[in-house]
Amino acid sequence: MNDHSTPAVGRRAALGLGLAVPVVGATALPARAADLRGPRPVRGLKAAGEIGRVKLTWDDRPYTPLVDHYAVYASRTPDFSTGPETLLGKTVYTSFKHDRLGGAAQEWHYRVVVVDAAGDRSRPSALVTGRSKESVAISGRPVATVGTFDHRSLEMALAPAGYAQIPRRFPNGADYLHGTHQPATDWPYIHPGPSDNWGGRKPYRYTFRFDLESLPAGELWLSIWLVDTHASLAGEIELALNDTGLGKVRLENGGTRGSLEGDATVPGTALKPSYVELALPRPALVAGRNVLTIDKNVGSWHVYDALGVFERR
Amino acid sequence: MRTPLPYRRSFLAMTGVSTAAFVLGTGRAASAEDLEGGRLPADPFTLGVASGDPLPDGVVLWTRLAPEPLAPDGHGGMPRGSYAVHYEVAEDERFSRIAARGRVTATAELGHAVHAEVHGLRPGREYFYRFKAGGHLSPVGRTRTAPDPRSKVTAFRFATASCQAYYHGYFTAYQHMAAEDLDVVFFLGDYIYEYGITTANWRRQGQPLPPAPHNADVYTLEQYRLRYSLFRTDPDLQRLHASVPWVVTTDDHEVVNNYADDKDEYGTPSGDVLRRRAVAYRAFYENLPLRSTTRPHGPDLPLYRRLRWGSLADVDVLDTRQYRDFYPAGAVIDNAPERLDPKRTILGSRQEKWLYDGFRRSDATWNVLAQGVVMAAIDRDTGPGELYSNDQWDGFPANRDRLYAAMRRYDIANPVVLTGDVHHHIAIEHKADWKDPDSATIATELVGTSIGSDGDGAETDSYGPLWLANKHVKLYNARRGYLSCTMTPERLTSEFRTLPYVTRPGAPVNTLARFVTEAGRPGLIREV
Repeated sequence: MNDHSTPAVGRRAALGLGLAVPVVGATALPARAADLRGPRPVRGLKAAGEIGRVKLTWDDRPYTPLVDHYAVYASRTPDFSTGPETLLGKTVYTSFKHDRLGGAAQEWHYRVVVVDAAGDRSRPSALVTGRSKESVAISGRPVATVGTFDHRSLEMALAPAGYAQIPRRFPNGADYLHGTHQPATDWPYIHPGPSDNWGGRKPYRYTFRFDLESLPAGELWLSIWLVDTHASLAGEIELALNDTGLGKVRLENGGTRGSLEGDATVPGTALKPSYVELALPRPALVAGRNVLTIDKNVGSWHVYDALGVFERR
Repeated sequence: MRTPLPYRRSFLAMTGVSTAAFVLGTGRAASAEDLEGGRLPADPFTLGVASGDPLPDGVVLWTRLAPEPLAPDGHGGMPRGSYAVHYEVAEDERFSRIAARGRVTATAELGHAVHAEVHGLRPGREYFYRFKAGGHLSPVGRTRTAPDPRSKVTAFRFATASCQAYYHGYFTAYQHMAAEDLDVVFFLGDYIYEYGITTANWRRQGQPLPPAPHNADVYTLEQYRLRYSLFRTDPDLQRLHASVPWVVTTDDHEVVNNYADDKDEYGTPSGDVLRRRAVAYRAFYENLPLRSTTRPHGPDLPLYRRLRWGSLADVDVLDTRQYRDFYPAGAVIDNAPERLDPKRTILGSRQEKWLYDGFRRSDATWNVLAQGVVMAAIDRDTGPGELYSNDQWDGFPANRDRLYAAMRRYDIANPVVLTGDVHHHIAIEHKADWKDPDSATIATELVGTSIGSDGDGAETDSYGPLWLANKHVKLYNARRGYLSCTMTPERLTSEFRTLPYVTRPGAPVNTLARFVTEAGRPGLIREV
């Protein structure tokens, strides 16, 4: 018979924990004795506003103690407590997107807490404030639009899950005339790409035609809101206005569920909305009929929320 | 067929003492030392017991304290403190001939997992083990030590398993495996899946869909821990772990689909992939019977290792995910010329060197590679063109050629490759020239189907013609099941077991095919 005993090791020694370092900054919470047991708080928390979201980033850290996750807390007011009611989400990464904020600018306040493998929690980070950017779809004057900018694809043709009908119903893509056609019948919710077997593994062009009585005084912008894209092969779109190339836009990888679900406002949704907005060059515009083309020559599908041309106010 | 293991009630009935009074092997009242960390209010052994990585003088014994295995924070309902866990190993089911006992400390940092490495046992024999913690006794497990490395072994009985998507079906295959008299189970990857479990993928009929938070994709340590706990609540999985030692390796879904080193298919920054890998590997280690030499350090998991079964077999357990290069030209399936880059590696240089050093020293009758993804060349274009999966060894033909060259250089005997990943039973002869069916057969590959992934399946599917168009593929089947093998000095008999369904419990098991590979003659002779 053999006896093998492993002496108990104090967890502080086992984890190699040092004393927690006080957070520097006017908004840091005061350290309590009990807090010193937890992991070191997040440092370098920053917030950057984008359309429809605020992107948070913070400093990386060593692997010991192992971070279980970062818990991100948010509130519309700066004097908030970290708790279940203000928990926005958890991530193991050193960044977090607070998304689906809508097209109007929003100001939010954030703190991040580190939870380590033992379940110990750090003190909350210093507070940061972020403000999402306003979409021209909200601030601008609508000139011509398809669909409603609401983080849903449901008003589009074949939504929310009829992708398999695209090759039969829209074998040559979409050709949509503003004022005549309707989203529910003439603009498919999903735009396939050459990586899609179900789409016949070919490029698709979606065409949006709109009329201008005269060129407006203000700058015209194109706004495309996407409900979701393929998770690994979002690919890129190539845009042209009246045969003037507007460039290629690499799409963000999404959540892949958008081919089957159409409502990104559902709590806990796996959909990952994204946005494309760019100014339309004035020389490319014409009084009368304008033709905007969206070619998907690279990658897999994306799903529309809405798109339109707006005059920036 | 094996006799069922004694469970706690019958064991206590045999001992004639109460749970409260019983302290392992003594019958005396529990002392403060026995209860370090305090008494636990509920049974902490809800995730069962397991053993693994047998050596001639011992095994590693595993359990994880979890009175509430599905507690959302991943800590199994355990308090944050450390707990003493006593273990006891006996030569008999009644624990009257104690062979070893000891104590380890379960900490919150490791999810209160226990990896007790037992030494001093006798080679090539059966043992029984159990744990005690917080005033509770575990179920009894059965295990086996490896034979003496110099001994002549007459037979090595093992099975392979892989791809246990809990949500796609019942683990009925494990019921049937537990009834076989196995020495070892090789698990070849995809012990968990990282996907959210929803109505869209839930196929276990008669069992309610697990509620939130199981519906979310898994990224954090608490989520990975919880995912292992959910899978390990399966009674068939627990029984098989308790009845035979397992030797495990990973494929991709222990972390994220199709990852390669520090890259995933979603364009996630490398630093973030490594963060996810670190917590995924930690949860993998915490939940499986692995030795301390396999404990991960941050994002690094020292998993590849060698098992020797007497003079009969050397088994190299490989890691084909952690060190591999990404897709050569960005696509999973293609025939890009970059695929042929001689620098491409699926094993990584250190693992390659370690493997070939092992070949150099091997004098075993059989040399087995237990690993994740299909090694054979499989042309996926049934027409005149060629297409290959860069997620498998086809994405690394230069590495495969280096492997074959090392086999030839060191003249290793009877190479056999055991593979999982693809959810199909496939039997393959490795050819000296893949494009010449008449060229020499140089190795044998046995690809076992999934335990649960993809649900009931069918006898064949749309991929069948593609695989069978490769003349070196000798069997293709799309049911669920496992591979059962008997290895002797003269032959390897491989039986491909299938189940007609897994979305309902209680399926019988069938033997789809039986092949013999004779020692000295690589390849497959079909008997059934």
